[in-house]
Amino acid sequence: MASQVTREWSGIQQFPVATQTKLLELLAKLRNDNVNSLTILVMGKGGVGKSSTVNSILGERVAPVSAFQSEGLRPVLYSRSRAGFTLNIIDTPGIIEGGYVNEHAVEVIKRFLLNKTIDILLYVERLDSYRVDNLDRQVIKAIADSFGKGIWRRGVVVLTHAQLSPPDGLNYEDFFAKRSEAVLRVVRLGARIKRQEFQENAIPVALVENSGRCNTNDSGEKVLPNGIAWIPSLVNTITEVVSNGSKPIFVDKKLIDGPNPNAWGKIWIPLIVAFQYFVVIKGIKKQIKEDIAKDDRPLWELRDLGLADRNF
Amino acid sequence: MAFAAQGLPRSPLPISSSSRPNRRRPSTTTTSLSAPLQPNLPSSSSSSPQNPPPKSKSLLPSSQTLVLSATATAATATLLCGGGGGGFFGGGGSGGGGGGGFWSRFFSAPMAVAKDDEEPGRDWDSHGLPGNIVVQLAKLSGLKKYRVSEVLFFDRRRRSTTSATAGDTFFEMVSLQPGGTYRKADLLRELESLATCGMFEKVDMEAKTKPDGTLGVTISFVEATWQSADSFRCINVGLMQQTKPAEADPDMTEKEKMEYFRGQEREYRRRIERSRPCLLPIPVNREIVRMLREQGAVSARLLQRIRDRVQKWYHDEGYLCAMVVNFGNLNTREVVCEVVEGDITQLSIQFQDKLGNVCEGNTQLGLVRRELPKQKVLLCCSDEDPGEILRQGHVFNMEAGKLALKNLNSLGLFSNIEVNPRQDEKNEGGIILEVKLKEVEPKSTEASIQPGGTVSFEHRNIYGLNRSINGTVSSNNLLNPQDDLSFKLEYVHPYLDGLYNPRNRTGRVSCFNNRKLSPVFVGGPGVDDVPAIWVDRVGLKATIAEAYTRQSKFTYGIVAEEITTRDETSSICTNGSRALPTGGLSMDGPPTTLSGTGIDRVAFLQANITRDNTKFINGATVGERNIFQVDQGLFAGSKYPFFNRHQLSVTRFIPLKTVEEGADKPPPPVLILHGRYGGCVGDLPSYDAFTLGGPYSVRGYNMGELGACRNILELAGELRVPVKGTQVYVFAEHGNDLGSSKNVKGNPTEFFRRAGQGSSYGAGIKVGMARFEYACDHNAGTGAWFCRFGDRF
Repeated sequence: MASQVTREWSGIQQFPVATQTKLLELLAKLRNDNVNSLTILVMGKGGVGKSSTVNSILGERVAPVSAFQSEGLRPVLYSRSRAGFTLNIIDTPGIIEGGYVNEHAVEVIKRFLLNKTIDILLYVERLDSYRVDNLDRQVIKAIADSFGKGIWRRGVVVLTHAQLSPPDGLNYEDFFAKRSEAVLRVVRLGARIKRQEFQENAIPVALVENSGRCNTNDSGEKVLPNGIAWIPSLVNTITEVVSNGSKPIFVDKKLIDGPNPNAWGKIWIPLIVAFQYFVVIKGIKKQIKEDIAKDDRPLWELRDLGLADRNF
Repeated sequence: MAFAAQGLPRSPLPISSSSRPNRRRPSTTTTSLSAPLQPNLPSSSSSSPQNPPPKSKSLLPSSQTLVLSATATAATATLLCGGGGGGFFGGGGSGGGGGGGFWSRFFSAPMAVAKDDEEPGRDWDSHGLPGNIVVQLAKLSGLKKYRVSEVLFFDRRRRSTTSATAGDTFFEMVSLQPGGTYRKADLLRELESLATCGMFEKVDMEAKTKPDGTLGVTISFVEATWQSADSFRCINVGLMQQTKPAEADPDMTEKEKMEYFRGQEREYRRRIERSRPCLLPIPVNREIVRMLREQGAVSARLLQRIRDRVQKWYHDEGYLCAMVVNFGNLNTREVVCEVVEGDITQLSIQFQDKLGNVCEGNTQLGLVRRELPKQKVLLCCSDEDPGEILRQGHVFNMEAGKLALKNLNSLGLFSNIEVNPRQDEKNEGGIILEVKLKEVEPKSTEASIQPGGTVSFEHRNIYGLNRSINGTVSSNNLLNPQDDLSFKLEYVHPYLDGLYNPRNRTGRVSCFNNRKLSPVFVGGPGVDDVPAIWVDRVGLKATIAEAYTRQSKFTYGIVAEEITTRDETSSICTNGSRALPTGGLSMDGPPTTLSGTGIDRVAFLQANITRDNTKFINGATVGERNIFQVDQGLFAGSKYPFFNRHQLSVTRFIPLKTVEEGADKPPPPVLILHGRYGGCVGDLPSYDAFTLGGPYSVRGYNMGELGACRNILELAGELRVPVKGTQVYVFAEHGNDLGSSKNVKGNPTEFFRRAGQGSSYGAGIKVGMARFEYACDHNAGTGAWFCRFGDRF
């Protein structure tokens, strides 16, 4: 699939004109920054709407989606080009299995990404779930462990199912703020990013509503309950992240295999051996000598050695 | 003045120069010797065999032959105090009985008495005289066997009569026992021996007829006394020539007599000067001086008490061959006590065949000598130099003998060992230490052949130097042994630096194979059915172990091995696997080997130093134990592995109370603190990773249940309290991977969903070898009962 041919981004024409204009604007802006292609990695737990989001962004029904069936087990790359700009979106399967992160799935994703550069990570989560748990942390940790902490500098938290009516007593903005705060907190903890660093380089949060029943505004753009057209907004967030000064992640063999723990510290072994011999072994030998000197010898032996001097 | 202090007071054997001590004599010295150590003394039987046995109290100190022996099966030393030296036990039995004599005495005694009781009148003759008349000894018939029903003592000075059973040690001098049967000659000899023993100034014996035909014997005496003394000196006269004083001519003039006594005095002073200092410590000396001062005049009874005190000290300290032979210098301010301590003059090592005949042994003598305690090793080294033998300090000691026995027994070469001090016939007061050894068969083969069986062979004591080759081959299925065949072939070469070098290094070369279930590929909580991985090792190992003490040693060597990892079907596997929720197996788990092929070859250096000064106090272990072990890779093997794998364990057994040591005393409560650190830098294949959890790691978890990691830290504390003969303990343990699980290739800890750390606590009771304990698994919060064998620490 990596060899999938780049097709013309025809889906962009599906978007309302207003959206199209905004998107093309943003792409032109990226081109101005000498960015001709963008690779977006979409990750998250299963069933949060990763594939739907991909479909929404591309404006085509590329990834098969169904309400009850989780998507396929392999990552898929969708490549579209428009006006000399290439957009690659990699849809991944959910990496959770049986309450644990499935290393196997992570491994497959990593292999798939070999020799690719990740410009953007979309971490997909639902807006309408109220709770974050240990599992979220594990997923985030797995992502950070696989591609390095740095990938979160290129990360965007995407909250799907954005068109919801918040629970009683909360308005939409408050609910969104609370929910995004909780998710970001879990990202910070899971990826073990220092609080200060996290505040300096805040991970943006984007809202997504993939449902066909999504409200539209006058120009036919899909809008969120707060009135923002979310597709241009998401792409805008992405372009902001691309130009935030951080480096894209190039996935090479080393990154996939992780640091080789067997190689670490080998150079210090001669020093370690010297320490062990001169300090530890010699030290224990000295203790043994002291033991021998301290040992209670029977009186007869002392008398034999002439140490008694008739005192006992 | 003469005083014969014999080992056994009843001994009728004093050879005394003066027939009767004389208080008015101006001279102060005479030698009178009971010659307890003189060989070939005629064993006189002044008492008839039916005599009740001597009091056991007097037996031990006078023991002449003692045999320490051990058999290979029961490594306990038995001490036999035999009545071997007939001279010593004058009165008892046949005298030459060897080791068995001691026991036979005990066993025969009640029988003899019973016989007397049951059949009165058969073994003895009535005196045939009217009752209640006093008869002089001379008037008794020489043909009759008289029964003595009563022995009375009449102290003329105190004007008091006591019976023989009154318990005064003084009367131990008399071998007559009420109820015994004696001839006239026996009675006369008894009287003579009393007269010459030096304890009495005057002694006489009368018989009184009793109406029932028995005799009552009254011994009237005047106890010998000398002028009071206020100092005491103990000298060692062992190995010294006994001086035989010149016979005093009864026709000497006063002047001649003076001359003669003065000569004797001079001679005695020279003797004291020549004598060696003895071991008796100053505190005991002082105690005796106090006894002398309290008493005033030195009496025979006092000397006896002094003798007992001195001999008691020697015997308590294990110098069982030591004895007081004489008191000299009486009638001066200083009492001189002559002691023969039992110096070892010769070491004789004998080998015996199965029938107990002396034979030529296979074992080299140097090896036996090496294992004898230092006191004797010094002696052996000086065999050629007789001057050295006479150095002070080579006195035979029972404890040293026991140690020799223990050391020899631990060689495992002898089925029977006897360490036997015997009196030296050439050197008076000397001891020849006999070591009698029965060797075990050098070659042995054993086989048990069932469907599963073991074949083992051993060749011990090659060249008489305790080198050995042994091998074992075992299989669970001999019909199809290629499935699992384990073998071990080992060559052991002790005394690597030579028999006479004090350095104790042992070389070992072994060739082995074994198969173990890997604790790395084990599931965490909730992960069941992890397919087992077997780790087969075949290899060669050559090590040198240097023993510093019995328990502390340093071992170093080289190991070359081939490691093969197999799955349950015995086929080679390269990765661990885990069951997927879908029911399939994920086969891409952590690699089992470094090479990734399932077969690793590696050679590395191994060193291990153990410092162990633990000892048992009434059955509880107390002390410290530190073990450091390091494996150093050498770039030799598959993928040129280079690594340094090390672990240090530190265990402290702290007694919380000082207790008296003794056989029946309870052990102290002990607090045990234990820490273990392990780490590896460099190439670490999964089979060498440290695993957490298990009865010797963190109790309450299964082997490897907590993780497999590159660095490990274990901390444990246990409190053992003795309760009614058993031990009850509580413990808490923690094991941690220090975050190093991810540094093991494939992260087996995470792959099998293990926690990487865990604590447990619990309590248990020790019953014999088994431990029953309840341990709470802190990760899951559940507990379980366990039964284990052996100690955790």
